Amino acid sequence: MSAEFELTRNITIGQYLPTGSVIHRLDPRYKVTAFVIMILAIAVCNTYLGNLFALAVCLVMFRLSHIPLHYGISGVKPAVPFIIILAIMQLLFYGEIARGGTIYFQYGFVTISSEVIRLVVVSAMRFVEVIFLSSVLTLSTSTTELTHGMERLLGPLEKVKFPVHAFALIITIAIRFVPTFAMEMEKMMKAQASRGADFGTGEWWRIVKRTKDMFPIIIPLFNVALSRAEDLILAMEARCYTPGAARTRYAHYRATPKDFAAVGICMILAIVMLIIPW
Amino acid sequence: MKQPILVTEHLSHVYMQGTPMEHRALDDVSIQIDRGECIAIIGHTGSGKSTLIQHFNGLMRPQSGSVIINGMNVSDPKLDVKALRRQVGLVFQNPEDQIFEKLVGDDVAYGPFKMGLPIEEVRRRVEWAMELVGLSFEEMKDRPTFALSGGQKRKVALAGVLSLQPKILVLDEPTAGLDPRSRNELLERIKRLNTEERLTVIFVSHNMEEVAHLADRVYVMANGRAVCEGTPRSIFSNQELLHTHHIGTPESVDILYRLRAEGYQVDPGAYSVDEAADQIAHLIGR
Repeated sequence: MSAEFELTRNITIGQYLPTGSVIHRLDPRYKVTAFVIMILAIAVCNTYLGNLFALAVCLVMFRLSHIPLHYGISGVKPAVPFIIILAIMQLLFYGEIARGGTIYFQYGFVTISSEVIRLVVVSAMRFVEVIFLSSVLTLSTSTTELTHGMERLLGPLEKVKFPVHAFALIITIAIRFVPTFAMEMEKMMKAQASRGADFGTGEWWRIVKRTKDMFPIIIPLFNVALSRAEDLILAMEARCYTPGAARTRYAHYRATPKDFAAVGICMILAIVMLIIPW
Repeated sequence: MKQPILVTEHLSHVYMQGTPMEHRALDDVSIQIDRGECIAIIGHTGSGKSTLIQHFNGLMRPQSGSVIINGMNVSDPKLDVKALRRQVGLVFQNPEDQIFEKLVGDDVAYGPFKMGLPIEEVRRRVEWAMELVGLSFEEMKDRPTFALSGGQKRKVALAGVLSLQPKILVLDEPTAGLDPRSRNELLERIKRLNTEERLTVIFVSHNMEEVAHLADRVYVMANGRAVCEGTPRSIFSNQELLHTHHIGTPESVDILYRLRAEGYQVDPGAYSVDEAADQIAHLIGR
């Protein structure tokens, strides 16, 4: 109950946990590359054993980065209903698509075979693995590093006139302001609660009432967001930010053998994941 | 005669408990505030003042220790928080951010309306609250909120809390960011709420002139603890304490201390502008 308004605690996106581990100190460009390789491997891997292996790899990464596992688990929690709904859908409607295997049960359009079960279990595991991996990445990399890394990796796209820098900037600002607005929202909820407001206590079918209950928070939040945006523009212009102009960078990244090793290890892990039978 | 209205005992609070970012914001705070008092809470940024006052209307529940407000136990999970929040009006920093209605009157009416009061009663309370903060009901109630000045907006926000007719008014840095004229006017209003409407007022402030001018008693917070309590006079004449906790002093106190350091016979405890002026006039022999 005392955590009624502690919104900021529940938001792990954009949160950075500086433990100074090996994974924290990797060059962000290579870290993002390694991360992309792992995600792709997880997306393709569809064996039980391969996914168990991937899950184990995730746990090892938590260990290596000195990040408490409950951070990853708290990221999974909100996704649980979604995973369950997905599992039910797949169980009911995927009989036609995932053909083969032993058929355990068949009635009308519902076909439950070993292949369908494999699909259900594997997608649930994939979900958890992807959340774990992205938690490790975001918790071990500050948002600045992350966007620098992405900007560099997207660099080649500049040749086809893709506004890489602007894109990276938008992402940085968006991520940077998530915790800020969470804080603003928390403050607003507290202020309105002090005036007798209550949120989300109405019955769920009274959607209009529940939406109206949110007005006292949403409207001020928009106001704050707009005025913050104006402040940000002024602050950027005061520091001579010119859209589209070439900019030098404060942080220079130089890859070390460790970074190459990290990408190499991830590649090997990815291949192992894909060639594991069963 | 003295009737405690707000008592905290051994109150502690730890933010982000169980994470590496754990932070002890309140540490064994025991304070007692009597009915009708005007209390200032001072202390450095991060000393736990804001956390403390959020316990006063049940926005935060005690993790350990207790908070009793007018006979209501904030730790009680079955407590009617809405009833508590009607007794304790909490005005946050920059309260003008919370205004969301198009018209001034509507915004002030939000609280009483949420209480489910009949429309005449809501109207009566809005009028009462607006007049109390110095906004003419007839003139201002149909003004659009976005066209108000900063000082007026703050008054509207204050009226929005007062319209709940609380017994205790808690203000977090009520004058921060206001121009001197609006600040003085707001201070006068707050003082009158305390003396004429008999509201118990608790305010957080970094402005020592304000503290000296308004408060009956002062609590000094440092590192989550209530390190000291006393009248403004006793607090401001304790230079050692002020120094260790990085608390500023009103300018007049500053001047008196400097004179004393130069070897003049002055009493820094008598720091009101008139008293200080008298002492200085006495020194230069007029």
